[in-house]
Amino acid sequence: MKKFHMIVDLAKCVGCYNCMLACKDEHVGNKWLPYTDEQEKHEQKWINPNKFERGEAPFTEVCYLTKMCQHCDNAPCAKKFPDAVIKREDGIVILDAAKAKGNKELVNACPYGMISWNQTLETAQKCTMCAHLMDEGWNEPRCVQACPLRALSVVYCEDYEFDKITEQQILKPITDGSNKPRVLYKNLYKYNKCFIAGSLAYMNGNVETAATQANVKLMMNGELLKEMKVDFFGEFKIDKIPKNSGTLTIVCTLDGYKPIKKDIKVETESNYMGCLMFEK
Amino acid sequence: MSKKVMEKSVDLFDRTFLGGTLFSLDKLLNAMALAFPEFKDELKKQNITVQMKIRDNTYGRLIKFKNGFVTGKKGIFNDADVEMIFENENIARKVMLGEMYGDTVEFVNAAKAGSLVLNGEDEKAMWFSSLLLKVFAFDVLYMHNYGTKLPNGEMRYVTGTNGGPLFVYVKDDKVVRVTPIDFDKDDPEPWSITARGKKFTPPMRTTAAPYAMGWKSLVYSPDRILYPMKRVDFDPNGERNYENRGVSGYERISWEEALDIVSKEIVRVRQTHGPGSVFHTSGSHHTWGNCGYYLSAAKRFFNCLGATCAALNPDSWEGFAWGAVHHYGGSARNGGCEPYSTVEDCMKNSDMIVFWSSDPESTAGVYAAQEGTIRREWVKKLGIPVVHIDPYFNSTAAFMGGRWIAPKPGTDAALAIAIANVWMTEGTYDKDYVEKRTLGFDKWEEYVLGKTDGIPKTPEWQEKETGVEARVVRALAKEWGKKKVYLACGGITSFGSAGRTAYGTEWARAMVCLVAMQGLGKPGINFGGLQYGTPLDTHFWFPGYADGGFSGDYIGSGAGVQLYNRMPQSPSVNSENQLIPRLRIPEAIMNKEAEANHLGVFSVHSQFGKVKYPAPGHSPVKMYYKYGGSHIGTQPESNRFAKMYRCDSLEFVVNQSIWMEGETKFADIILPACTNFERWDIGESSSSGGYIDKTFLQNNHRVIFIQHKCIEPLGESMSDFNIFQAVANKIGLWQVFSEGNSEYDWVKRYYKSTDLAKKISWSQLLKKGYYVVPPLPENRRDPVAFSWFAQGIKKNTPELSPLPSEYYGRYNEGLQTPSGKFEFEAQTLKRFDPNDEERMPICTYIPSWEGTNTKELYDKYPLQLISPHAKYSFHTMGDGKDSNINDIEQHRMLINGYRYWIFRMNVKDAQDRGLKQGDIVEVYNDRGNVLCGLELTQRIPAGIVHSYESCADYQPLGEPGNSVEKNGCINNLTPSRFITKNAHGLAVNSCLVEVRKWKGESK
Repeated sequence: MKKFHMIVDLAKCVGCYNCMLACKDEHVGNKWLPYTDEQEKHEQKWINPNKFERGEAPFTEVCYLTKMCQHCDNAPCAKKFPDAVIKREDGIVILDAAKAKGNKELVNACPYGMISWNQTLETAQKCTMCAHLMDEGWNEPRCVQACPLRALSVVYCEDYEFDKITEQQILKPITDGSNKPRVLYKNLYKYNKCFIAGSLAYMNGNVETAATQANVKLMMNGELLKEMKVDFFGEFKIDKIPKNSGTLTIVCTLDGYKPIKKDIKVETESNYMGCLMFEK
Repeated sequence: MSKKVMEKSVDLFDRTFLGGTLFSLDKLLNAMALAFPEFKDELKKQNITVQMKIRDNTYGRLIKFKNGFVTGKKGIFNDADVEMIFENENIARKVMLGEMYGDTVEFVNAAKAGSLVLNGEDEKAMWFSSLLLKVFAFDVLYMHNYGTKLPNGEMRYVTGTNGGPLFVYVKDDKVVRVTPIDFDKDDPEPWSITARGKKFTPPMRTTAAPYAMGWKSLVYSPDRILYPMKRVDFDPNGERNYENRGVSGYERISWEEALDIVSKEIVRVRQTHGPGSVFHTSGSHHTWGNCGYYLSAAKRFFNCLGATCAALNPDSWEGFAWGAVHHYGGSARNGGCEPYSTVEDCMKNSDMIVFWSSDPESTAGVYAAQEGTIRREWVKKLGIPVVHIDPYFNSTAAFMGGRWIAPKPGTDAALAIAIANVWMTEGTYDKDYVEKRTLGFDKWEEYVLGKTDGIPKTPEWQEKETGVEARVVRALAKEWGKKKVYLACGGITSFGSAGRTAYGTEWARAMVCLVAMQGLGKPGINFGGLQYGTPLDTHFWFPGYADGGFSGDYIGSGAGVQLYNRMPQSPSVNSENQLIPRLRIPEAIMNKEAEANHLGVFSVHSQFGKVKYPAPGHSPVKMYYKYGGSHIGTQPESNRFAKMYRCDSLEFVVNQSIWMEGETKFADIILPACTNFERWDIGESSSSGGYIDKTFLQNNHRVIFIQHKCIEPLGESMSDFNIFQAVANKIGLWQVFSEGNSEYDWVKRYYKSTDLAKKISWSQLLKKGYYVVPPLPENRRDPVAFSWFAQGIKKNTPELSPLPSEYYGRYNEGLQTPSGKFEFEAQTLKRFDPNDEERMPICTYIPSWEGTNTKELYDKYPLQLISPHAKYSFHTMGDGKDSNINDIEQHRMLINGYRYWIFRMNVKDAQDRGLKQGDIVEVYNDRGNVLCGLELTQRIPAGIVHSYESCADYQPLGEPGNSVEKNGCINNLTPSRFITKNAHGLAVNSCLVEVRKWKGESK
């Protein structure tokens, strides 16, 4: 049985918010019952990119984590309100519009915060993956169709086929995955891991010069985690370091100069070490 | 057969044709009325008689309209209400046949020669003439035979926007949704580029900018003006209460009353004060469409009236227009450079791309939605290293990665000159190219190396100015000197915020000098960042919006270059030659004088000439006919406009606007315009033409479209065309304005004139809505920009500019400079004023008149504010109006129920001031005070702050022009001083401010 799966690639998201706008365009002022009633104009967002920054100047990074209903196979909302939540055969999770009415508790049932309360209609609502359009033959929900690089994409295939894709593309759930979400994320490290960056230089006479020939090693308890050459600015950036990794050691070497050794405690933030000077 | 017999036969044929046509006319009209009740209603509108005849009275027929029924009889009668007179039978046949087949040249000829005359009361004559044209448009007007019907009962139409074309789904006269266009199987295969062993092909679809995706919410905005309005305390025959503009409310009036007041004021003002007394301006960007655009409909209307216009400044690329142009020409593009085939060349041949003040991911180049995004992804796939130089860690940098270098605003030229210093010192530039293709390098070298002033412009020297470590600049210079590099300035080539700083001319000049040193036009060495210069078919002829539409203005628009030989239309000329420099509109109105240099497109040297207001023999402006509300919000020191409106030198202000926002609220009469969803038009995605020739080369596909009238105009709003027509009718200008054509008729005439008509029938275009121009085969792609110059051959890129007289040597050889070479020492500037310290013949670094060096001011206002073009709204379009754009958390910030404009600040600066994320802050300097929502970020270094320009509305908390503004009108803070003294350019990114927590309105 083929089902819908969704992939969100953080590296392809340019932060245009077209997904949120397309969702509003489709659902504000339009009633798609029995799938869902109108979305509230401003107060609700069924899909939304959240801007997230790492690092600091000049090593700042920006990404967007786009969240919507995760269409979980093991949906907490369905567990709590089995009558009000419909799991379709194609994997899409829909709130029963009649039964969601007046049920504010549904909002709290979603650990992702993606069921929201429509104050005007007094009903719980969420993303339907545009099931009303998909059932009419559309290939993509509105958010995906409006996404310039398809940072959002839908895959319609057997679950086992998607498992392969998950493995090949290193797709991850935003939480631990126990809810079996059908929305998986690519390049999630931009959101949940850290980097360490630094600039290396030496004095050429009295001119501070980028150490473009330097090497950098990342060590942990004497074990080599990563080794790299710096770029033409004499700079390095080591990414995908898990948060709270503890104390790591950066070892920088340049022929003819003393190595530079620095310990860095990795907690939750990325780290720019500034400019480190090699000395004879 | 003798010649005489032959002529007689033709006459007989023509007479038979005329007789036959007119004989059947009443029958045809009755038959149509029977079939279409709406047409019957139209017939009922007038009970009149129309005499159609040959001038010499040898043939005539009287058509009588009575209670919706038409009768005809042969003969000449003297008491008809309307007379349509043809000079002879031959002209009658040609005009009628032409109208049938969409060839209007005979009609225009006959009208110009007086060989076709319509007499009678305007209203009746106009009704009859438009009735005849309705016959040719009956399938659209009465059968609604356009658009694609979908199985679920929805209709799918097409429209164009400033952020890409859209499918528009409609049901029951209501827009259901808008989407980007996914092509179908009949659309052509796109182009491919093979570079470094990989093949890249764009997907078969269009893209949409956020402000395009939000359009439905703009159509149905609660701020739509649905009825004509009059300021409650404005009495055209009594007290006008100028001082209450911007304060008093409005009351609904009828169209009849509104048109009566506006037309009478036009006549009164012009008769009383003479030429120049009526002033008109639009924003720079209208709603999309080549016929409805301000350069078409408004241009023709104000040419018919005679009006003072604004002398425009290229406010997105000032630095290039007033600076770079002197080194390498390009006056037709206001100093912009050629784009041709640079995408392919860059992907194949360049080793690095430097994005300098370039954020196409936010600005969409211009109009180009998210078209360039995929090409920026290709750069990532190709592994071409990129560098971003911008005080703000912009969206392009965020997406592409690469080193971010953040010079202090207004110091970019110092950084660039230091790069040149490294190349000169180390000899890492193309000496052969510099010797053969350039002039005056030694003069610049003397300055850069410090031989003239004793200060070598080294990386260490620039560090004090820019704040960028010398080590970083030297490393960049060394790498650049070794590699083939593309330099992207601004979103589309030759734009950029850095060119909108004090002496931003010097930055733009430095940019072109750097690329010239490395061999501009050699493989892999050029301008651009893959935003502009896709391998599309530039030979398929379809003009852009700036090419004049139906303006008939062969001088004041691009029509003289593009449309004159293609679309027959009667010419129109503004007989008044009074101009107000746009940056001095408030001063002109309030002080009754203004002066500025005037940028011409025909030559480089024309910019040395000045516009002086008032012009000799002209009246100062007495009436302002403004389109939309966007000067406030987009123009520097916007508060000036609020003050201007409230002074008594403007006797009458009318604003024609879609939404109630910005300066619309300062009008005496407001005329409700409808959106492009509610009218007919035609256009091409992101094609402006005019100053930015071949703008469509930003796209992945050339998509040309009809813009369906998707829904009926909301309320009593009307298209700009119909409003202008209605005012024109009141002054007897109806035929002169429109040739009696409706906007639908003009759209069809426009279509007929273009290559589109050779490829897709009118009915097919009406149904499908768009046409994708197939790309040319690979071996017919355009030559790479400036490659002809690098090779020393004749210019072979597909454009008409420069004009022949702009070559001082042999025609078509070399650049548009006096020497034909790239001039490091610009002879045009040398000839104008070799001692202009604000713009020397060579590029120099000049510290800003408002920056970290202006100590007294900097002590008071120690934050440098930059306000680049917005990402989520297109200037004022999309912002405010309760649109969905306001829900974007990076566009506005919801605090205490109000959506504040976002102001971005480094965490450290905020800590120093005790400010935190989400605070309402007051940003202020001597020019104004603006409230914003505070965003803390690492995207901007300490000491610099960022907030986009162009909020749509203007909400002063007290007296307009003199109080705290709540809606985020950042341009209240920016300086209106010229970029350099001999240029009419703005420098809004040289702006010092201070910020404090807003204590509330009671303060």
